[in-house]
Amino acid sequence: MIEFRNVKKIYSAGINTIALDDVNFVIEKEEFVSLVGHSGAGKSTLLKLLYAEEKPTSGQIFFNGEDITQLTPKELPLHRRRIGTIFQDFKLLPRKTLFENVAFALEVSDHSDAEIQELVPQILEIVGLAHKMECYPREISGGEQQRVAIARALVHRPPLIIADEPTGNLDPISSWGIIQLLLKINKLGTTILLATHNKDIVNRVKRRVITLDQGKIIRDHSKGRYAI
Amino acid sequence: MLLITLKRTFLSGFQHFKRNGWLSFAVTSILSLTLLIISTLIVLSLAANLVIRNVQDKVDISVYFKSDTPESKILDFRSTVLQYKEVKSSEYVSKNQAFDDFKEKNADNPVILQSLDAIGDNPLNASVNIKAITPDKYDIIATAIQNSAFKDDIIRINYAKNKLVIERLNNILSMTRRVGITLAALFSLIAILITFNAVRITIYAHRQEIEIMRLVGASDRYIRLPFIFEGITYGAISAIFVMFLLFPLIRFAVPHITGAVSVKDVQSDFIHYFWLIFLVQLLVGVGLGIVSSLIAIRRYLKI
Ligand SMILES: Nc1ncnc2c1ncn2[C@@H]1O[C@H](COP(=O)(O)OP(=O)(O)OP(=O)(O)O)[C@@H](O)[C@H]1O
Ligand SMILES: [Mg+2]
Repeated sequence: MIEFRNVKKIYSAGINTIALDDVNFVIEKEEFVSLVGHSGAGKSTLLKLLYAEEKPTSGQIFFNGEDITQLTPKELPLHRRRIGTIFQDFKLLPRKTLFENVAFALEVSDHSDAEIQELVPQILEIVGLAHKMECYPREISGGEQQRVAIARALVHRPPLIIADEPTGNLDPISSWGIIQLLLKINKLGTTILLATHNKDIVNRVKRRVITLDQGKIIRDHSKGRYAI
Repeated sequence: MLLITLKRTFLSGFQHFKRNGWLSFAVTSILSLTLLIISTLIVLSLAANLVIRNVQDKVDISVYFKSDTPESKILDFRSTVLQYKEVKSSEYVSKNQAFDDFKEKNADNPVILQSLDAIGDNPLNASVNIKAITPDKYDIIATAIQNSAFKDDIIRINYAKNKLVIERLNNILSMTRRVGITLAALFSLIAILITFNAVRITIYAHRQEIEIMRLVGASDRYIRLPFIFEGITYGAISAIFVMFLLFPLIRFAVPHITGAVSVKDVQSDFIHYFWLIFLVQLLVGVGLGIVSSLIAIRRYLKI
């Protein structure tokens, strides 16, 4: 499903930073992959390349066989609709209710009002927040906010979910709840790419782990452990 | 473009307008002021044109013939003049008709009537009244007549009377236009600046929303359109507001400005042009709004 081929990313803001250096890997459909590494190792950069927020300095990135480094501005939004993105800081809109926050992702991709009325409660049910649909983000806990963010990433049923430190701000119990949710989604057939610092989680998940260090892949184990 | 995109982006653009509160009020005020200047310019031009049209109708050249000129010759003159391309119409006024007209005009002045009786004979001359197609043609026509074969039969050519009035009116009109256009341009510029800033502030306030929109795969169009619609809303609401303002304004102001022309004429002219003026307002208002939005989007909405 995803293939990175000789991908190199150099940021040239003031000083040149080599964020990714000759990265090669393949992720198959329905895999659950953890991406680990020290701060500054290039995890976020790798994810940004995947949803085309950044362009690689050289190399190719394939998504379902299509080189996404060559996307035209018109194709770019369509590519992003194939990916659900989850962030450490949730990125919920404070002035919208939970329902509206999730509906937002459907509105921009031209789903009808009827579809929105049907799909949003469904997905909020899955993340266990259907009863708080009319609340505002400030009225719920951090763990709940993250679950809303997951609902928003999921609601248009993308084949791939990218999560960048989704548990960074949460206590261990809420964190594990989030990961279990991701595992459940993965079981239903969605590919998951999870960037994280959290050693406990990686060790408990017991799935494939790709380890980055200073922009290079130094380890790629199919039943990996957090080992740096 | 999908209808649902239009609907949704329009609604959020309108919401920007509502939520901006005082800022929206300021933008609408300055846009309204600009539109008011432009429409005043239009209405004044309409009124002035009406006045000029009225005066122009009264302008003509009167060519008076010596008493012994045979009528056939005068009629000959009349048809010759009618051949000039600058001439719109020419009318023969015989000695007797001039006499009757004169008596009628002075019907309530017994002194004049008595003295006419005392003379016994008709002292007036036959004349031909000529109207030009446009007022600037009178000089040409007068010169042509003075150099024509009939010049020896003519006593007097009378035309300078109303010429000055028209020239003055034209001068005032073109001055008003120049001042008005300068003012309109100046205020348009200010309006664009303020509207642009309002949209910039909205963009800033929605930066988080914009970021998320991009992440969930909103098209560039979907992200930009609400800000365009915001600009359109400012313009459209200003245009509607100004139309409400313009009616009473014309009712009260026009009588003081035009004087000579009947107020009814100007008002009916205005009603006649109501939709045209409204359309101009709407186009200008919406145009200014869109231009401002586009500048703000170009500079501050990085996609
Ligand atoms: N927009 C940018 N401009 C310049 N340099 C950048 C930019 N983004 C990231 N970098 C640099 O690239 C390197 C990799 O950054 P990246 O954010 O990918 O690391 P990370 O693995 O996600 O770190 P963390 O675990 O702290 O989130 C860092 O050295 C960082 O300073
Ligand atoms: Mg990061």
